[in-house]
Amino acid sequence: MRWIVFALGVSVSVPTQADEYNLTPTQFVYCTVCHGVELKGNKSVDAPKLNGLAQWYVLSQLQAFKSGWRGSHSFDLTGMEMKPMAVVLTDKQLAQAAAYVTSIPTHAAPATVHGDPIRGENLYSTCAVCHGPRAQGDEALHAPQLAGQSDWYLVRQLEKYQAGIRGSSPGDAWGTQMRSSALVLADKRAITDVVAYINTLQTAK
Amino acid sequence: MSDSFTRRQFLNSVGATGGSAAVYQMSMALGLLPGSAQAVPFAKVETLGNSQRSVLILGAGIAGLVCAYELERAGFGVTILEASHRIGGRNLTIRSGDFVDEMGHPQTCQFDRHPNLYFNAGPARIPSHHHHLLYYCRTLGVELEMFVNDNKHAYVHDPRAFGGKPIKNREYVTDARGFMTELLAKAINKPDFEKPFSSEDTERVLEFLRSYGDLSPANNYEGSLRAGYKSNGMVIPGELKTPHEFTELLDSSFWRLRMHFTEGEDQCSPLMQAVGGMDNIVKALVRNIASRILTNAQVKRITLGETGVDVVYQHKGRHEKIRSDYCLNSIPKHLMAGIDNNLPKDYTTALASIGRGKLFKMGIQMRERFWEKENIYGGITWTEQNIEQLWYPSHGIHSEKGVMLGAYTFDAENSEFFARMTPEQRFEEVLKQGEKIHPDYRRYAQSAVSVPWHRMNHIMGCTAVWTPETRERWFKRLQQPEGRHYMIGDQMSFHPGWQEGAMSSAHWTLAHLNNRVRTELSGAVANA
Repeated sequence: MRWIVFALGVSVSVPTQADEYNLTPTQFVYCTVCHGVELKGNKSVDAPKLNGLAQWYVLSQLQAFKSGWRGSHSFDLTGMEMKPMAVVLTDKQLAQAAAYVTSIPTHAAPATVHGDPIRGENLYSTCAVCHGPRAQGDEALHAPQLAGQSDWYLVRQLEKYQAGIRGSSPGDAWGTQMRSSALVLADKRAITDVVAYINTLQTAK
Repeated sequence: MSDSFTRRQFLNSVGATGGSAAVYQMSMALGLLPGSAQAVPFAKVETLGNSQRSVLILGAGIAGLVCAYELERAGFGVTILEASHRIGGRNLTIRSGDFVDEMGHPQTCQFDRHPNLYFNAGPARIPSHHHHLLYYCRTLGVELEMFVNDNKHAYVHDPRAFGGKPIKNREYVTDARGFMTELLAKAINKPDFEKPFSSEDTERVLEFLRSYGDLSPANNYEGSLRAGYKSNGMVIPGELKTPHEFTELLDSSFWRLRMHFTEGEDQCSPLMQAVGGMDNIVKALVRNIASRILTNAQVKRITLGETGVDVVYQHKGRHEKIRSDYCLNSIPKHLMAGIDNNLPKDYTTALASIGRGKLFKMGIQMRERFWEKENIYGGITWTEQNIEQLWYPSHGIHSEKGVMLGAYTFDAENSEFFARMTPEQRFEEVLKQGEKIHPDYRRYAQSAVSVPWHRMNHIMGCTAVWTPETRERWFKRLQQPEGRHYMIGDQMSFHPGWQEGAMSSAHWTLAHLNNRVRTELSGAVANA
């Protein structure tokens, strides 16, 4: 509905430029309720930024939630919140959801984690083997892009891998590998340092 | 005179010179007596006359609807944008065929179609001092009826006490009081006890205790009719129930919170409900609002400007931008970080500081009102299981079927326990726990709807969780407008989760807005 009345005191509604925002498909409006407008993420509800992720990775994680090797560990409280969202989707809808996520242009995520990026750069050399020197990710190695992802989310995932909350499910071979890599980071400071370094690697798509 | 001169000391000195009438009048003046104690007065929004102002309201819950109702009567141009498919926010009454928009678990209510068979998944009680809410019910003709909250004939259940068997609420409360008063009476009545009272006062205290705990003349608790007879007592003499062991009463955690729950100002008798469902309040407001209310209109950006607020939203497959003089925003504060905006950093920090509460309720249609055959008419059975509460409907007494509440969890972990299950698993778990109290429970249960409020689409939380620290640090910051933008709703009150909180916030905002517009208009006249 549109109405245009040019009088003081009356709300004036006009269609906006089509390129300002992407229309959210009706069936995926609920994604944006938590993950935010343009899927930029919302830390207040523990929902990470999704834009900028590769389609293969989004699809694999949706399948992971649906099949239960993500979001099933009894300590994975936020993962359990996501799980039913994937379970309710058909395989076709999973593919559509992944396509929708990757149709949104990449937005820079604000830096919220404060660590020592110089120390983090040294630590990152292990990560670079799979995730690439610019943290751009590598599909062949099933390593997602890390640069530009919500930094608080990266911290949380590293913590989950270390604690075995993620990466210890039998169906999650790549996660098992990631878990042993995460254990290389000695302490909490190492995690924030490496994420602080990843924050310096925002890649333009 | 010292700074610590309290109001009580002041009133005492007033009393010494002017007597009780002077104290009464001074108390009224200080706002200390009921009647003058309306924390938020009713706002009178003065009519704009020939002037015009536009207000965009985000969210069609109770606060947004009340603002729209009052503002349009004063001549404001009002538009309401609502993200979900329905109007009413958390004022939600679920009936046959209704869609329950839970994230990941969309449900359709399978209750029979009958006026009695509804479930108030949101607010369900109206305390008699919630004067904004009662004002709108009175003014808009929302029919009310009594709601039973406290029922001494309902049960107290704790797996750790009384062999896991439910006991009548009246037995627990009477025995607990009896033992406590006996203990106190004996402590006070010792001859060598150093008494804080004169002997005359001591006798009066003992009398008080005997009356309060129903003690014998010798200050012993020997059971009480208040706990009910074991048998008869009508045409043959009744036999008193044997009191429970005091240590067993202590074994149950009922005394920690539940025993005194209905003493609370918002929980004490009498309470009311809207006849036919709490959403009749929403329907009455909507019937009386002419302004445009758009559902399925999701906000994407809020931009505050010098002369107005721009909001971009998606509705019916396109993006629209709307500009208004003012914006009243009831979007849940935890969703604001997911919406583009140019609010200042301290304001968004304040929004992010408020926690997201978790409450879970389930309604079950029962083929028979079995509880009435157990002498239970309305009220609550309290249990220390995850379901926490069973509510028996106050309406439709002696009709065939009823919708009872099978679970209502105040504890966030209990809410998560149920939220993580599928609706079918929840139903099974609730039945399993309910049959610990009512053995044939499962046999009566026909269908259920469950509402984990922190999983409801476009809501994702109930209630706003303020701590003493965040209240102190941020409440006033968020209550004050930022430019032409106001946060509203029960989240912006000291009564989150109550309709009265939402309406009080609405009226605080209306009063502020009215003053502001008056000032603007008088400035315009002066400049003319």
